[in-house]
Amino acid sequence: MQFQKEVEIAAPREKVWQFIWDVDRFISCVPGCKDAKTIEEGKRYAATMVEKVGPFKVEFPTIIEVIEREELSRIKARASGADDKIGSRMKVDLDVNLRAHDNKTILAFVAGVDILGKLAALGHGIIKRKADQVLDEFAQAVKMKLEGDS
Amino acid sequence: MLRRFRLEEPQSVAEVSELLGRFGESAKVYAGGTELLLAMKEGLVRYERLINVKGLRGLSDVAIDNGTIRIGALCTHRQLETASALQQKLASLVKLEQNVANVRVRQAGTIGGNLCFAEPHADPGTLLMALGAKMIAEKSSGKREIAAEDFFVDAYETSLETDEVLTEIRIPTPQANSRSAYLKFGYLERPSVGVAVALRVNGGGLSDPKIVVGCAGPAPRRVGEAEALLDGKSTQEATRNLAAAGTIAGRAAQAITDLHGSQEYKEHIVGVLLKRAFQSLVS
Repeated sequence: MQFQKEVEIAAPREKVWQFIWDVDRFISCVPGCKDAKTIEEGKRYAATMVEKVGPFKVEFPTIIEVIEREELSRIKARASGADDKIGSRMKVDLDVNLRAHDNKTILAFVAGVDILGKLAALGHGIIKRKADQVLDEFAQAVKMKLEGDS
Repeated sequence: MLRRFRLEEPQSVAEVSELLGRFGESAKVYAGGTELLLAMKEGLVRYERLINVKGLRGLSDVAIDNGTIRIGALCTHRQLETASALQQKLASLVKLEQNVANVRVRQAGTIGGNLCFAEPHADPGTLLMALGAKMIAEKSSGKREIAAEDFFVDAYETSLETDEVLTEIRIPTPQANSRSAYLKFGYLERPSVGVAVALRVNGGGLSDPKIVVGCAGPAPRRVGEAEALLDGKSTQEATRNLAAAGTIAGRAAQAITDLHGSQEYKEHIVGVLLKRAFQSLVS
């Protein structure tokens, strides 16, 4: 499943870039994400993703690896995790781009989300909708946090 | 494999409500079990306790009184497809029930379980919404009515509170000039799209139309904008507006591309089913 999102943030690019690397604040914008830890600064992080659709609840202990980093403009990362209780795996390939626009920043990201295992029994449509919702909430939360600071 | 769980055997709705309140998300009401047990066997959900409501009395009847059809939440689909009171008063619901899943599911599965599980591809909620049904939710401290439109919140989610139990579905008895139909289409085990239409025919004119789309999106949705194109119109005028109503209803379905069809395909099928359902009511 491919998702593309873009959000305009009324904050300079440097500030948005710093925010992305402030793990605790950044993770607080990801719905259902908790217990974020830095394993290796700038390269490897751990967190737990908890998501719920009706009575179906998944908990993915997740490792996030930063694959590429271009200062102030781009981050490529991969998040992967497994919920052994439900027997499902998740993989997210994330490509984040920052563009300066007047005194604002356009935060654009492409996310390739794969959900494998029993969770897929819920149906592609339901999972896609949930993933889309999570990414929308994330984009809006980043915008609100950063604009709230200024 | 089904994991171990404790089976509670309450004797009253108040007791069920008390157990639900006490154990919260670790307990679940168990009626027919046709969807719940499958999900548990697959390991998709885990409950420490199942609260067996099959033994509760007074929740398995169909009755008509004071202009209301009352359906107990524990009525099985099979019971509804064979209930003589419904065959006379609500043929559309009988026809829907005759086509729910397969006879094994209909024999065990209950209408209440179907509504509470809120599986997006389930049929009954869509027609019940068009029929103006009310859900009766009870708990230890009392009961309330929830309009079918407000009952379905999202995929697998209803507006029932944690300690509330669905005990009855109330449908206004259709008047002599009321008509209703539910049509569905799919090529997999579950339907891709379901459309319910209800209206009144007054001479050559139509009134009180209700159009509800189900299965294509996360939950059944009533489409007021499409209804407005039929309301107060003559049959001919309404027929001319059907294509526009179908387009509006298709968009409102919140259809998602999946194994059951692409978004565009489902939106198109909504229009086709709406047209056929409407024509079956006015011809």
